[in-house]
Amino acid sequence: MWATNAVSEEDRLDREEARQVLRRAAALARPQRRLALATLGFVALSTSTTLVGPLLLRYGIDDGIRADDAGPLNVAIVAFVAVAVVAYVGSRQQYVFVNRAGEGFLRALRLRLFDHIQRQSLGFFDRNKAGVLVSRMTADIESMSELVQWGLLQFVSATLLLTFALVVLLLMSWQLTLLALLVVPFIVLASIKFQRNSNEAYLAVRERVGENLSSLQENIAGVRVIQAYVREPEQFRRFRRTNRALYDAHVHSVRVATWYFGVVEFFGVLATAIAIGMGGWLVQNGQVSVGTVVAVVLLLSSLFEPVQQLSQMYNTLQSATASLAKMFEILDTVPEIDERSDAVALPRTGTLDVDHVTFSYPGTTVPVLHDVLLTVAPGERLALVGPTGAGKSTLAKLIARLYDPGRGAVRFAGTDLRSATLASLRERVVVVPQEGFLFDGTIADNLRLARPEATDDELRQALRALDALDRFEAFPDGLATEVRERGSRLSAGERQLVSLARAALVDPAVLVLDEATSSLDPGTEALVEHALDRLMEGRTTIVVAHRLSTVQRADRVAVVDHGRLAELGTHDELMALGGRYAALAEAWARSQPV
Amino acid sequence: MLWMAGKVAVPQLTGLAIDRAIEVERSAWGWAVLIAAAGVVTGTFTALRRYVSFRESRLTETRLRERLLQHILGLHIGYHDRSQTGQLMSRASSDLNQVQMFVVMIPLTLSNLALIGVVVVMLFRTDPVLAVCALAPLPFVNLTARRFSGAIHPAVRRVQQEQAQLASVVEETVAGIRVVKGFGAERVQSTKLEREADDINLASLGAARVRATYLPFMELLPSIGLIAVLGIGGHRVLNGELTIGELVEFNFFVQLLVWPLRTIGMTVAFGQRAATALQRIDEVLDTVPEIVDPPTPARPSERVGAVSFDGVRFGYDRGAPVLEGFDLDIAPGTSVAIVGATGSGKSTLARLLVRFYDPQAGAVRLDGVDLRDLAVHDVRRSVGLVFEDTLLFHDTVAANIAFANPDADAATIRRAAELAGAADFVDDLPQGYDTILGERGFSLSGGQRQRIAIARALVSDPVVLILDDATSAVDPSKEHEIRAAMRTVMDGRTTIVIAHRPGTIAMADRVVLVDGGRVAASGTHDELLATEPRYRQVLAAAALGSDQDTPAGAARAGDG
Repeated sequence: MWATNAVSEEDRLDREEARQVLRRAAALARPQRRLALATLGFVALSTSTTLVGPLLLRYGIDDGIRADDAGPLNVAIVAFVAVAVVAYVGSRQQYVFVNRAGEGFLRALRLRLFDHIQRQSLGFFDRNKAGVLVSRMTADIESMSELVQWGLLQFVSATLLLTFALVVLLLMSWQLTLLALLVVPFIVLASIKFQRNSNEAYLAVRERVGENLSSLQENIAGVRVIQAYVREPEQFRRFRRTNRALYDAHVHSVRVATWYFGVVEFFGVLATAIAIGMGGWLVQNGQVSVGTVVAVVLLLSSLFEPVQQLSQMYNTLQSATASLAKMFEILDTVPEIDERSDAVALPRTGTLDVDHVTFSYPGTTVPVLHDVLLTVAPGERLALVGPTGAGKSTLAKLIARLYDPGRGAVRFAGTDLRSATLASLRERVVVVPQEGFLFDGTIADNLRLARPEATDDELRQALRALDALDRFEAFPDGLATEVRERGSRLSAGERQLVSLARAALVDPAVLVLDEATSSLDPGTEALVEHALDRLMEGRTTIVVAHRLSTVQRADRVAVVDHGRLAELGTHDELMALGGRYAALAEAWARSQPV
Repeated sequence: MLWMAGKVAVPQLTGLAIDRAIEVERSAWGWAVLIAAAGVVTGTFTALRRYVSFRESRLTETRLRERLLQHILGLHIGYHDRSQTGQLMSRASSDLNQVQMFVVMIPLTLSNLALIGVVVVMLFRTDPVLAVCALAPLPFVNLTARRFSGAIHPAVRRVQQEQAQLASVVEETVAGIRVVKGFGAERVQSTKLEREADDINLASLGAARVRATYLPFMELLPSIGLIAVLGIGGHRVLNGELTIGELVEFNFFVQLLVWPLRTIGMTVAFGQRAATALQRIDEVLDTVPEIVDPPTPARPSERVGAVSFDGVRFGYDRGAPVLEGFDLDIAPGTSVAIVGATGSGKSTLARLLVRFYDPQAGAVRLDGVDLRDLAVHDVRRSVGLVFEDTLLFHDTVAANIAFANPDADAATIRRAAELAGAADFVDDLPQGYDTILGERGFSLSGGQRQRIAIARALVSDPVVLILDDATSAVDPSKEHEIRAAMRTVMDGRTTIVIAHRPGTIAMADRVVLVDGGRVAASGTHDELLATEPRYRQVLAAAALGSDQDTPAGAARAGDG
C-alpha cells in the first residue's frame, strides 16, 4: 500500500554510485532487451484508454451533442469501444511480457551470483556468514524483482501518461491547464515528504517487528525454563512492552500515510475546482468549448496519479540499487583459489610434499603454521596430533588446497598444487570431513555429488568396497531413500558411511580425514571404523586424529604444536622420545572409558 | 457519513457547475469555491477514515497477540511437546496479520457500501435508464475482484514457496561448501539451483497470468460503463432528456464506484482467509491448561525437601510408559545420582518433580504432600531444575542469573555465579555482568552456558535441586573446578544429579540405576561398579558418547 521498500541510511547510495550500478545492471539485462521493448509497446497501448477516452468524450460533446449532430457522437462511441478493446489486449500482454523480461533477468542474475559464490575459496566463507549470502540470493534479488516487475512498468506508464496528458491538455487549452497545474508542485512536495517520512516510519516498524518476533520466539522456545522458574508474569510484562512499541510504530506509520492521502485527495479536488471556475470564465469569453472543459476536468485526474507514482518510485529505485550494489560487491570478489591458465593435470600417484609452509588465515596477521616441512610417501598413513588450535586441521586444509600457503608450497608428485587443474586436484585429493554432511535428496544423489556421471552399479560398488552396501539396501527404498535436509532421516553413523562412500567413488590417491571428536552409537561405530579402514587401503592418508587407537594404526605421527612440526616419527619412536607425544598419549589413555 | 457526503458532492457540484454556469456561459467561480470546500471535507475525512480503521485494527491485533502469548505461557508442557515453536509463532504473527488485514477492511467496506448505495440512488433519480446501463457492468468488477483475490493468493504463495526452496539450496551449499569444493561438485549444485530458479520463473509466470486474466478485465469494465454513458447518454442529451452536466456527473460517478467495488471484492476473499486464521488461533486459545492449581492448595509449614516417587507410571502421549511402578524415596538434604541408558526416563523424573506433567498412576510427593495438592508456583519455587539444554535469554548475564528472582541484588547474583564456577569467565566478558547474552548477544560456549544455568537455579535457593546432565558440556578438565563448588551447593540440600561422568556421580551420597522404567539397583558408585554389570555397561556406553578435550578452537575458524 505504501513504502514497502524502505532503505536504511547506511545502505543508501550516492548519485554517482547509483548511476554506475544501474549502468552495470542494464548491461546484464541486455539479453532481455527485446522482451523489454515489446513490453514497452504493450504498456503504451494499455495506457491509451486513459488518454484517449476524455478526448473522445470532448469530440462527442462538442461536435456531436453541442452541434446537435448524431454522426460524430456515434463515431466517438465506436472509437471508444475500439480503444477499450485495444487497451484490454495491450494490458493483458503487458503483464505477461513484463514478467518474462523481469524474471529472465533475475534468473540470469541468480545463476551468475550463485556460480560466483561457489567459485570463492573457503576464506570467503569464513568472512561472509551463511545468512548474509543466502539473503543476497533471496531477499536482495526479490527486492529487485519489485523494481523489475512493477517499478519499471509503473515508471514507463506514468511517464507516458504524464507526457501525453500534458501535451494534450496544453493543446486543448493552455490557459486552463497551466492554472490547474498550479497544484502539482504541492502534490510533488507532499509526495517527497511522504516518501521520506514513510521510509523512516517503515524502518521503525520493521525493527519493532523483528524485536517483537524474537521476543515471541524466546518466550515460546523458553517456555519450559519460564514455567520451571515461575516467570510467566514477568516475561509477559516484558513481551507486552515490545508489543506496545510495535503498536506505536504502526500507528505512527499510519499517521504519516493518512496525512498524505488526505492532502493528495484535497489537491486533486482543488484542481477540478480551478478548472471549473477558470473554465467557466473562458467559456464565457468564448475562448474554449464546454467539451474542452469537461475533457480537461477528466484528464486532470489522470495527471495526478502518475505524479504520485513517480515520486514514490524513488524508494523502489533506491532499495533496488542498494541490493544491486551488494550483489556487484560479491561479483567483484576475485576467488583466491582459482585455476591458472597454464594448469596441468596431476599424475595418478606420487609423493606429497609440504615444503616450508607458512600460513595465516585471510584477514589475520598471526600465522597458524610456521615453516612446516613434511614428506609423505605414496600409501603412507600419517596421523596429525596436537592440542586444539595447534594448526593440524589447517595443515590438512592446505594439503587439499582449500587454502593456499602464504609462503612455501604443497606439492603432489612434484607438481605445485597451485599449478594443477582443479578437476585433477579434486580427483587426487579428497577431504572427508568430521561429520558426514548430506544434502537434501536421495542417498544416490548424495553419492553422485562426487561423480555426477556414476552409474547405479558404480554407486553400489563404492558402497560394497566399504562393506556398507547391505546397510542401505536394507532400506525399503534402498539408495533411492530420501535423506531430507542435512540427512536427518539417517543416523550420524549412516551419514558418515555415505560420506566415506562418496570419497571411495572418486578413488583418490590422497585422503585427508578429519576424525570425529564425538563418538557414534556402538553399533555403527564399528561399521564406520571398518569402512574407514577399507577406504584407506592403498591410499596416502593424512588423518587429523583425536583417538589413540587411530594414531596407533598410523605409520607415522606428526605432532603439531603452536603451528610448528614439533615431533615426527612412529608411535614407538615418539613414545621412546618421551616428549609431547608421550605426554599426550598418556593423557588420552587415562581419559578412555572404563 | 461526512466522507461520503464529500465524495458524492464533488461530482455533483461539477455537474451542476457545468449545467448552471458553464453551459449557459456564466461565471462558475462560485461553484469552484463550493467544489474546493467539498475537497477539504473529502480530504479530511478520507484521512480520518483511514487513520481510524488502521489504528483500530492494529489495536485488535496487538491485544489478540498479548492474549495469545499469555495463554501459551500458561499451557502445560505436554502441549508444547506436541506443537512446534514455528507453528505457534505463525499463529502469533502471520495468522494475526491475516486477521488484522480483514479487520482494517471492515469500516472501509461499510463506508464503501454506503457510498455505493447513495451513488446508485442518485444516479437512478437523475436518469433510471442511463443508470441501469452505466451500472450494469460494475457488479462484475466486484465479482472479478473477488475471483482475482482468490486466485492470486495461492499463486503468490507458490512463488514464495519456490523462493524458499531456492533459499534452502543456497543455504545448504554454503553450509556444506567444504564438501562441495572437496568434490568439485559446484556443477551439481548449480544444476540444482537452476532447477529451482526455473521453478520460480514458472510460478511467477503463473501469478502473472492470473493478473493478466483479471486485472485488465477489471479495468475494461468501467470503460464499458463509460461507453454506455457516452453512447446512450449522448443520444439522450441530443433528445433533450439529459443535460451535459448530468452526463459528466455520470462519468464521474461510474469512476467513483470502481475502487469501492474492487475493495469489497477483496474484502470477501480476505474474510475467508481471516476466518481460517482465526480458527487456528482459536484452537490455541481453546486449549485448556492441564496443569493447574488445586481449588484449595495445601500449605505445609516448612519445606525440608523430602522427595518420594510412589508407584509412578508415566508415558508421553499414547506411547509406551517410560516409567512403570517407579518407587524412590530421597531423604531431606541427601543427594542421589540417577544413572541410566538414553531413554530410560531419567529426565522424565526431573520433569515430574517440577510438575511439567502429572503421573498417570501413583504420585510424586514433596515433604509427604502430593504435588497435585500444592499450588503450581509453590512446587516450582521449591524445586530448582537445571536443564540439559541450557536456554539463555536475550538479556544481561546478571538478568539471566536473576531469572527466578528478578529482585536479587548484585551480591546474591555474584555469589550464585561463584558457586556455579561462572564468576571467573563472567569477569572476563567485555561488560562483565552487564554483557548481553542470547541469540543476538554475546555467545558463550556450551560449558559456560551450563554454568550460568546452574547459577540461575541457585539464585532461587531451592529446597530441592535437580541437575539434569547439567555439566555435560563443561570441559572435563574444568569440571573438577566446579565440582568443589557443586559440593557446597549440594551440602544440606536435597539434590538429584542426572549424570554419566564417574567423577560427578561419585559426589552423590547414593547412586540409583534406572532401567526398564523402575529402579534397577541402588547403592554407592563403587558398590554398583563392583556388583552390577548393567551399571558398568551404561557408564561405558555413555563415556563413548562423551567428548574428549576438544572444544571448538580458533584453528577451526569457520568449521561446519
